[in-house]
Amino acid sequence: MQNNLISKNFNHSFLNSESLTEEREKAFLNLKTIGLPNKRVENWKYTDLTSITKGLEFKPGKVDIEILNKDLKGLVVADFEYFIKNKDQYSKPTNYLKDEGVVYLNLSYASDARVIEIRESQSEPIVIKITAKGPGVTFPRLKIDIFPNVEAEVCFVYNGGEGFVNQLTEIHLGKDSGLNLYRVNESSSIHSETFLSYLNLNANLSMVNLSMPKNKSRFQVYNIFLDKHSSTDFKSISIPSNSCHDDFLIQNNHISSNCESNVGMRAILDKGVICSFQALIDIESNILSSKAEQDCKAILLHKEASMNAKPEMKIFNDDVVCKHGTTIGSLDKDQIFYLKSRGLDKKSSENLLLKGIVKNYIPNNSLLNNFLPKAYQ
Amino acid sequence: MSNNFLNIKSLSVKVDDKLIINNLSLSIGRGEVHAIMGPNGSGKSTLSNVLAGKDGYTIVNGAIDFSGEDLISLEPNERANKGIFLAFQYPVEIPGVTNINFIKTALESNRKYRGLEPIKPGEFLKLIKEKSKILGIPEDRLKRQLNVGFSGGEKKRNEALQLLMLEPSLAILDETDSGLDVDAFKIVADTINSTRNKDNSMLVITHYQRLLERIKPDIVHIFVDGSIVESGGPELANEVESDGYERFGDAK
Ligand SMILES: Nc1ncnc2c1ncn2[C@@H]1O[C@H](COP(=O)(O)OP(=O)(O)O)[C@@H](O)[C@H]1O
Ligand SMILES: [Mg+2]
Repeated sequence: MQNNLISKNFNHSFLNSESLTEEREKAFLNLKTIGLPNKRVENWKYTDLTSITKGLEFKPGKVDIEILNKDLKGLVVADFEYFIKNKDQYSKPTNYLKDEGVVYLNLSYASDARVIEIRESQSEPIVIKITAKGPGVTFPRLKIDIFPNVEAEVCFVYNGGEGFVNQLTEIHLGKDSGLNLYRVNESSSIHSETFLSYLNLNANLSMVNLSMPKNKSRFQVYNIFLDKHSSTDFKSISIPSNSCHDDFLIQNNHISSNCESNVGMRAILDKGVICSFQALIDIESNILSSKAEQDCKAILLHKEASMNAKPEMKIFNDDVVCKHGTTIGSLDKDQIFYLKSRGLDKKSSENLLLKGIVKNYIPNNSLLNNFLPKAYQ
Repeated sequence: MSNNFLNIKSLSVKVDDKLIINNLSLSIGRGEVHAIMGPNGSGKSTLSNVLAGKDGYTIVNGAIDFSGEDLISLEPNERANKGIFLAFQYPVEIPGVTNINFIKTALESNRKYRGLEPIKPGEFLKLIKEKSKILGIPEDRLKRQLNVGFSGGEKKRNEALQLLMLEPSLAILDETDSGLDVDAFKIVADTINSTRNKDNSMLVITHYQRLLERIKPDIVHIFVDGSIVESGGPELANEVESDGYERFGDAK
């Protein structure tokens, strides 16, 4: 445990408040036992967080969490006070992730939080900007609670920073609710986000992620199907800046019957980029009529670009419809020929195909269209 | 003939060390329509692809002249911009690219190459709607992703639409009639036939004489094992229709 993030004793001076001391001490104890993830941890094999954060100074950083249009009707917004009042909610993620160092790290030191209750269906998207400033370490915590029967759209936008952002995000989806979630990551910090969704009866989470990190990013998603007929659809486009890392882990825990999960990953990788994708599907023997799909397609634009893809299925019964596929390589030669044979030059043909890959997930009318690089708009 | 538009001389082409086109010579003059009929696997699509400039073929011998220029040294897009159009036997699906945007981009490339101003959006829209209507292509199909989920027949109609929009000087139709139902077949064949004029040539690859009743060729070539074994008038097509290719040295 050489990392200075956790080598010291619990650093009270790091906190602004004396709140939730018991919970923090407990989390810190677990953190010391488990340690920060490193590449020997299977789920973290592509991101050695211990070594990439080694040089960082353990001092508080600054992160702004701004909620645009927070005055919408049917929206109730709280800050860290919420967890002081609802102590049982604070450590809830550890019920599902018992040995995840980054979660204990967040719970040890979190002091910036937003809790948004969406009590009525919304006609406009709720935009949440998380902007890190300068060096240092930050621990933003987000919790969104979609009430039963409510339909809403939320967009997370990450930017800035020179340090380490270790975020914890939870989405509760009530019975018969639906959330369209958009996420744009343009963070220049080392960004690690652990994301949990809890889905109740007939709830749906659709997520489109546009990942364009300017540093090393780790996004780990745990979808927990608490009740039947719930579903998730996760689409991710990864276009990291040159020499940056983009690592995803998506785990769909089918702990209820009749649930459906879809995972689609597209990556366009240029010089020096390493993109990684682990998709785990977990279906226990007593869970019936599940549907699970995952597919991953990465285009390597440069010889110094690489993609790791590791689909993994733990399926313990036959009553499952399951599909998966992975392709990694260059653009399809027949497609390029088709376009060239109509008069488009090589570069235009390639650009059009890349744009097509992006447009398939982020069409012109998508909220995320404006965030795309010009060439893909 | 000195005024030949397309001149293929003693062409031999290999794929993976296998000789597919074998010492083929074929000349097509301006305004002429030639038909090629031949058994499956005889190399018809290979010839189309070689003319359009696809990679992966080794030209071991011969030359191809197009409008007095060496075709082989040109990229597929240069060939397209100079007027060659291949209607694919199996058009490729391009996810995420809308049909109409693609056709517009293609038309723009062609016009730019020819030094023409970009077409006005309104004018383009009017033109493509008009051509789609002739071909019985519903407008919503223009907004769909290029060929994605199109049926075989829809893909072929879409190839015909591109042909109509791009107005090539040499159209190569690689079994454009296959996969079309009877009604669609008539519409597509007659529409393509209506683009004929004294400057435009066509190379029509087909298995069916019924297509050649609508697009009447000047010459019919019988193509076996990578070369033309006999050329003649429409009676050749009739013969193939009733007796197959046996007489031409194909046992299939
Ligand atoms: N890319 C390729 N690789 C290997 N063999 C090929 C390839 N393309 C065509 N062939 C072979 O070349 C021959 C001619 O094919 P093709 O030109 O498609 O025939 P046709 O269009 O007359 O049916 C066939 O034997 C086919 O298997
Ligand atoms: Mg063929």
